[in-house]
Amino acid sequence: MDMRAPANANAVTPRNRRRLPVGGWELALTGLLAAVVVGFGAAAPGFYTGPASLLGLTENFLPFGLVALGLSLVILTGGIDLSVGAVASLSAVLAAQLWSRFGVDIWAAAAVGVALGGVLGLVNAGVILRLGIEPLIATLGTSFLYGSAAVAAAGAEPPSGFPGGFTALGTGTVDGVLPASLAGLVPIQLVVFAAFAVLFSALVARSPFGRVLVMVGYSPDAARYSGIRTGRVLVTAYAVSGAMASLAGLVLASYYDAVRPDMGDVLLLTAITMVVLGGVSIFGGEGTVAGVVVSVLVLGFLRQGMLIAGFSDMVTTMLTGAILLASIAVKNLFNRRGTGLANQIWAMIRRPEPPRANPS
Amino acid sequence: MRSHRVSLGGAALALVLALSASPLVAAESGTPDTAKRIKVAMVPKLVGLSVFKANEDGAKAEAAKLNIDFLYTGPVTASAQGQVDAFNSLIARKFDVITTTSNNPTQLAPSLMRAMKAGIKVVAYDSDVAPAARDFFIQNTAYPAFGKALVESVIKYAGPNAKIAILSSTPDATIQNEWIGAVKTYLAATYPKVEIVATEYGQSSPSQSLTAGLNILQAHPDVTGIIAPDGAAVVGAAAAIEKLGKTGKVFTTGASNPDAVRQYVKSGVIKETPLWDEVKEGQLVMYVARLAANGALKDNDTFTAPGLGTYEVKDKVIVFSEPLIFDASNIDQYKF
Repeated sequence: MDMRAPANANAVTPRNRRRLPVGGWELALTGLLAAVVVGFGAAAPGFYTGPASLLGLTENFLPFGLVALGLSLVILTGGIDLSVGAVASLSAVLAAQLWSRFGVDIWAAAAVGVALGGVLGLVNAGVILRLGIEPLIATLGTSFLYGSAAVAAAGAEPPSGFPGGFTALGTGTVDGVLPASLAGLVPIQLVVFAAFAVLFSALVARSPFGRVLVMVGYSPDAARYSGIRTGRVLVTAYAVSGAMASLAGLVLASYYDAVRPDMGDVLLLTAITMVVLGGVSIFGGEGTVAGVVVSVLVLGFLRQGMLIAGFSDMVTTMLTGAILLASIAVKNLFNRRGTGLANQIWAMIRRPEPPRANPS
Repeated sequence: MRSHRVSLGGAALALVLALSASPLVAAESGTPDTAKRIKVAMVPKLVGLSVFKANEDGAKAEAAKLNIDFLYTGPVTASAQGQVDAFNSLIARKFDVITTTSNNPTQLAPSLMRAMKAGIKVVAYDSDVAPAARDFFIQNTAYPAFGKALVESVIKYAGPNAKIAILSSTPDATIQNEWIGAVKTYLAATYPKVEIVATEYGQSSPSQSLTAGLNILQAHPDVTGIIAPDGAAVVGAAAAIEKLGKTGKVFTTGASNPDAVRQYVKSGVIKETPLWDEVKEGQLVMYVARLAANGALKDNDTFTAPGLGTYEVKDKVIVFSEPLIFDASNIDQYKF
């Protein structure tokens, strides 16, 4: 069976090609990551001043990565969650208020915050499934609700100045567990992100849930007719996305040692960019967590490198947009679903007879 | 308050340069040690806003005189996250001084404290950060002085028995609330018969401020003064007055850069409106940055900056100037 030669332009390629967590796209991204890190290391003084400083840079962007991991599940189902920023803000603000107003232990409050994020995700899924509202509109609506609730909960002077142990989550390094020579080297954020990256990768690529998730995204009707409870899959995806957004919000709270009702707003667009650049199709059913993880590192180090090299925020943001468009254009060009331009040209070259040989 | 009779912003800079170069001024102040070249960054709330640009113009000119490598960088939108990104990159690039006006006081603190730990001096100006996260703060004007200036620039024309309204930005805006507090204190002490009949908010948006201004004037036809201590609010209030044909009957004032209100000052809707000289403030920021890098400034101190004047440092806070009142006769001297 030769998969590179579709019988007609609309042929659906079997999905198992995507089962492996690493493919051509992921390898290409990894190459890009190496180029970014080595390039800035050589060209931008201050980017690499030792392994600790390089790893320390990840603290500045891994909250985006946590959101991207959760969001990738939702996008794999063919949906979208525009409420992640507001969920992050609301959970962080409420956790901080529990700590500051009600004297709840900060870690217990943080756990409540993450659980709340899961509940907010459930609400999203409920709005989408029960009210039959498109995910784009549904989560846009809930993002306004959650965002306003965060503003109301934050009050005029949102809490700041958390206990030292909690601020370590955002800015501390793993010490004690590792050999003494590695003390001060590995940020706690990086360990948290790596753990979730492995978990999510295994979940999507190796578990039955992952297979069902991708099926629902690839063809919801086919999945439903095969007896899959698609509703349940969606509920899980949105709940996980909400919980991960909350976790990111709490890491940000720790990093800034403060909460603000608008602190999550910056997360959304960058996280979507990371997921899509990671190779997850915005239409669902296609992509890997490994790709998203590498894309998080590519965009994160790129931004940090650009800033350290002295480029303004404006140029950095522009370049991110350009890279996204260019990479997706390249990807679409070689899209094997048959709609890619390169594929169509290839199909024409291969078959001299006109493609509409069989009009019905 | 100084008033240089010049016609262009560029000329004003040239004049300041000339003044500071004159031996008379230099003699009365200890010129800071400028032997070592230092790197100083200015991080505004966002780039591309004319008031911050005016700070930059002043800072750039002063940096050239003080042997400073000057960098102006900041986020494109008013975000604390973007400012923290900028700080982190400046720490990595080993700058000597970071100067900033903060989007919010708490979120920037950890990053700035990391900078201070790395030996970088931090000078806040315009909008303060948490006191533990900076070495010095340059405050635009003292709050009571600005409150008085706001009241006087309306009451002088509307009279001591006027009914007035307040049009602000948002209910939780720190500086605006401090100014409104100062306005009320000054009114109670000096013009007890003035009555504040309405307080509205324009969310720092010109169109929402216009709507709020129209609401005030239509709901309270007896209002003869609107105090609008926000750049967008004063424009909205002035536009509302003009739209309803109440020019000369209702007077407004605010806190805006001269470019935004020039037409209303000329048409007489705004008789007087206070702010401060943003260009000179930028110069002072660089001067303080130089002193801080030299370790030549104590928490409580006095110093004389050539061409700017003598300043008192009180508990790490330096008040920049008295309010600068723009009116039809002087507004064309200021372009920012």
